[in-house]
Amino acid sequence: MTRAERATALRAFLRTIQKPGLPVEGLGEDEGLVTSGLIDSLAILEIVTWLEERFGIDFATLGLDPGELRSIGSILDLIGRETS
Amino acid sequence: MSRGAGPGTRLRALVQFHEDPALLSWWTARVAPVVGWLDAPRRRRLLSLAALAFAVERMDDRSDGPAWAVWLGAPILVGLCWGVWRVALELRRMPLAVRSRPQLFLHAVLALGLVAFWTAPAGAPRQLLAAIVPMLPFVIWRLGYLLKTGQRGKLAGTKLADHLFYLFPAWGGTNTPYGKGFDYLTGIEARTAEAFARSQLAGVRLILLGLVWRGVVEMMAAAVYADPKSPLTRVLGGWTLGVPRLPDLVPHPGSAPLGVVWFSLYLELVWVTLRLAMKGHVIIGVLRLFGFNAFRNTYKPLLAESVVEFWNRYYYYFKEVLAEFFFFPTFVRRFRHHPRLRIAAATFAAAFAGNMYYHTIEQPAFLSRSLAGTWAVMHSRLLYCFLLACGITISMLREQRRRGMDAPAGGAAGRLRRIAGVWTFFALIHVWALPGRDPDIFGRTRFFLSLFGW
Repeated sequence: MTRAERATALRAFLRTIQKPGLPVEGLGEDEGLVTSGLIDSLAILEIVTWLEERFGIDFATLGLDPGELRSIGSILDLIGRETS
Repeated sequence: MSRGAGPGTRLRALVQFHEDPALLSWWTARVAPVVGWLDAPRRRRLLSLAALAFAVERMDDRSDGPAWAVWLGAPILVGLCWGVWRVALELRRMPLAVRSRPQLFLHAVLALGLVAFWTAPAGAPRQLLAAIVPMLPFVIWRLGYLLKTGQRGKLAGTKLADHLFYLFPAWGGTNTPYGKGFDYLTGIEARTAEAFARSQLAGVRLILLGLVWRGVVEMMAAAVYADPKSPLTRVLGGWTLGVPRLPDLVPHPGSAPLGVVWFSLYLELVWVTLRLAMKGHVIIGVLRLFGFNAFRNTYKPLLAESVVEFWNRYYYYFKEVLAEFFFFPTFVRRFRHHPRLRIAAATFAAAFAGNMYYHTIEQPAFLSRSLAGTWAVMHSRLLYCFLLACGITISMLREQRRRGMDAPAGGAAGRLRRIAGVWTFFALIHVWALPGRDPDIFGRTRFFLSLFGW
């Protein structure tokens, strides 16, 4: 799966948990997901669950660094690193 | 601002002055050159030097022993920090027990320090430990952040001196690390003149806001509570509502009309929130002056529409300690295939177990091995933490269910109703969080029941 395909899958997932009325398409890779208002801080937990189920990332071993989930770009970096 | 802007727009521009592009460029042009030599590395060095003075001063504050114990204890404490920094740096080469559970290792070190203090013979060794031990609850969470940085492999190329500035933060704080640790602070550090100016203006604004809240608190103390210690009480010439403070009402249920008691209950929530905000704003404001544009500690919690939103906004850096050291580790390890139970377990680990642990290890009675004294002070908090954890869990599950849906209906009235619900929840459970040992949990529960006429 390429980074672009992962980005498409991630944006599709974010659409299911985002606050209404804010288009996820317009969000830059480095923009903060919470600070931009797209999601609330609790939605981070949903992203964790999605990463575990979709990409088999084991946060119990890896440790959870909320900074790695702050933007689309940092999440894609994490997926790339943990699935390579 | 346009010439035809209305009063609302003008007021907003005044309140948000730190975002005014004209002021920002003026500040960058006029003020930044004055402190131009103070680039990011120099600012950190300055803060590191101040950290050493802060360590001695804070240790002196907490110790009632001789001065020599403080002067000898401070370098020993820094030595302890050096040891933890080395462990964090070499974490991958540490024994499995340390590598897999570095935070447990850290708290085992704390326990060893306490046991050493409790069993030390009277005399110089005990006096020395008596100076060091009260500082352990202060450094333990900051060292926890240091270990987390090590776990994330971000310590390579750093020295202990690079970490002193947040281990002993000259900008102030309590046992809770305002500004968290290395990862967070380096992530938000201003690296350009414009970012530095932006951070400083945001700092000035926050300090001013802190002073405004201080004024409101003083006004409340005089005009609402008739506090004889407030300088405004005399200024008002005895004019006051004379509402009794909640801590004075709790030991005597039924001593005031029910309406006054409920009024006092809600006022107490406003009072503690404003006091927390006024202190936190100044601390974070100073941190921002040094170029770290950190989140506020308190951000409009009284406007929160859910329990979990209030909890996120009320005492942000304490919530972060509970989230990073208790919530997330539980969430990623337990009940992965039971989503609701997973959230409940993680919330109880943080808001109940973590909250109790945090407050227990900082109790003077606990540090001096008085378990009966610790129980007397802490047992009511057990119920507070339990109710808090229940409230946050239910609120989180409700928020999760509503995620992706439209905002709740009801307009302004609905919003007011939700805010009132949040106020009521936190005002009521605060009865069991009031500091002090008296009244005990039964006395507080009697007061709680009296609120409903029982």
